[in-house]
Amino acid sequence: MSFKKSGKKKHFQNKAYLYLLPALTVAAAFCWYPSVKSIVESFLVVNQGGKVIGFAAFDNYRRLFSDQAFLHSIKVSVTFILLFVPANTFVTLLAASLTRRPSRLSFIPEYIFFTPVAVSLSAYSLLMSDIFRGEASVLNNLFSTAFSGITTPAGAMAVLVILGIFLDFGLDYILLMCAFRSIDRSVIEAARMDGAGGWRLYWCVEVPMIKNTVLVTIFLALKDALLISAPIIILTEGGPYRSTETIMFYYYTEAFRSGNRAVQNALASIVLLIAGAGMTVYSIFKRKKEAL
Amino acid sequence: MKKIFSAVLLIIFLSSVHVFAAGLRESSSALTEVEIWHSAQGSNAEVFDSIIETFNNTIGKEKGIVATSIYQGKANDVLTKINAASGTDSLPDIAMMDATAATDMNASDYLVTIDALGIDTSKIIECGLSSYTSEKGLLALPFNASALLYYYNKTLYDSLGLSAPETIDQMAYVVSKTGLAGSNGKLLRVGFIGIPTTFELSTFIGSQNGLSYMLDNRNGHDGVATKAVFGEEGTYKTFLLEWKKVFDTGFYSTATTGTTEEFTAGRAAAMLASSSKLATIINSAEGFEVGVASVPMVNENATGGTVISGGALFAFSDNEAVKTVLEYLVSKDVQAIWSEGTGYVPVNTESYETESYRSFLKENPLYKVASDALLSSNPGMTNVWVPSAYSIYYSFQTNIINYLNGTGVDETVSEMESIINSAIKTYREQNL
Repeated sequence: MSFKKSGKKKHFQNKAYLYLLPALTVAAAFCWYPSVKSIVESFLVVNQGGKVIGFAAFDNYRRLFSDQAFLHSIKVSVTFILLFVPANTFVTLLAASLTRRPSRLSFIPEYIFFTPVAVSLSAYSLLMSDIFRGEASVLNNLFSTAFSGITTPAGAMAVLVILGIFLDFGLDYILLMCAFRSIDRSVIEAARMDGAGGWRLYWCVEVPMIKNTVLVTIFLALKDALLISAPIIILTEGGPYRSTETIMFYYYTEAFRSGNRAVQNALASIVLLIAGAGMTVYSIFKRKKEAL
Repeated sequence: MKKIFSAVLLIIFLSSVHVFAAGLRESSSALTEVEIWHSAQGSNAEVFDSIIETFNNTIGKEKGIVATSIYQGKANDVLTKINAASGTDSLPDIAMMDATAATDMNASDYLVTIDALGIDTSKIIECGLSSYTSEKGLLALPFNASALLYYYNKTLYDSLGLSAPETIDQMAYVVSKTGLAGSNGKLLRVGFIGIPTTFELSTFIGSQNGLSYMLDNRNGHDGVATKAVFGEEGTYKTFLLEWKKVFDTGFYSTATTGTTEEFTAGRAAAMLASSSKLATIINSAEGFEVGVASVPMVNENATGGTVISGGALFAFSDNEAVKTVLEYLVSKDVQAIWSEGTGYVPVNTESYETESYRSFLKENPLYKVASDALLSSNPGMTNVWVPSAYSIYYSFQTNIINYLNGTGVDETVSEMESIINSAIKTYREQNL
């Protein structure tokens, strides 16, 4: 159906914009306006009450980058991303791969793997804090182990990665399993007839066919890793010794709890910039792939 | 036609909303509602709710006041929500918060001071009043007061012929005796667990030389502090040098979380914690008797005592109903009931004379340690009002662990000084 050179085209476009209007209004009020406001205010001196009292130029950014706690939080975030994203991709891909063929009993692993989606983040975080809290933890009591859990920096980071995987697992699993099951059967049959089987069929035919979905899960994991703060608030409070204080937890502590507007606006602008850059890279990548 | 019909429908809908809202206001005008946001958890929340219920059934009924208590998370969560609600009409009438709220509340234009409400505070304990007094007057009414205590495994201490240490030097000796290592060198029990931070340091530094401050302007109470003074006065250094003795015993755990669980499980022989945890700790201690004592002194000259901790009630509405509720909450009988049910120290001096509180202390002598420590302390001892309080809380932990792991003591002190001074500078530039 084409609207070219037809008066209907304009009418159709106007109607489309009209349908979009509620979403655009919400986006403008709750996303664009605060974003632009943060960027503008990052160059101003704003007091705790939100009143602008002067021009700061780049002072807020200078202050932010001279704060050792902030620089440390960047290191922690990068460490978390490097540990979490590959581990999360591996675990979810493994689970989806092992259960990709529908069978009479496949509802059992599916049920188990879907369940994390239905449990709240806070509930999981609280549960994890009890399971892994120090020498006297539930885990150590049950298995007579001596895992230090969240009381040491390395243990706390490990527990956070495990929690992150748990939180992302359900959605990623659903996406990957749907992708596996929607692969055109004729391609797999053709590969089989050509003699491919087992590992080769999986790695050279099935995985390449779902790579766009894998990419989506990787980007989702990256976004979650960069923005992680709520599980940290509940599980470790950034500790011990700031070892799990990510950029967003630092933001929460300084901007939200301490009302430090200098940090709030400068850091919000930086995170916005990073997220914008990430989305741009993703869409360029996606367009190139689609063009191929 | 359709458009006209839609417009008419919209007008009818909007006007009905208006009528409904007006109706609500009218029906509520007969009774005055006082909304209280609090941070009491578990059994403490039950006691608080029952106190409020008693108010509603007695004084409230008489004066047409209905008080409602709403749990809003820990004290710092309440502050976060108050900050978020400021500038809107969602602020409660009263909020229970701790000293970390003081800087924000002192700077805010929506706080109603206790002086402005005209509440008589002559019966409130002196250290409680001084810890919430700023240049603007009394910011909040002390309510859930507590003190830092030294908790120890009394059964173990008794079996070894040890008593609670009076100084950190003695503490190092006791820790070396109460720690236990397995044949493989792995620690089976530590002599002490926990790393001090702002709360503990306000006592460790504040008590030195009779009375000391961490920041100028009397820890920020006489106006926003301009700098940290623990460096030039040498108080932080003195503390660090003493604390290192405890670390050097090899039986010290620097854990920052789960310390209470480790203590009650018998894996740590001692720790520092607020007296407000007393009831919980006694109930959850596994197979041993809990002992409590005053916080060990940094040295013989650290005679200031202890800083009052816990929380206070901040008011955001200036009316007779709020005043009535606040007066009720700090009255002698209510404070006695609150203390007996929770372990908090009564803030009303007359509560100590009530028959019920006297017999309660007789049966539960451990609860007396905190009130004795507070009442015998220098009333000038105040908690620290510092901007970016949470960030500084974590900075102290990191700063101390770095020192224990080998950073020089002078470098440690100057690093902490510069972190605090930088936070103060940022705050002053933005707000003053």
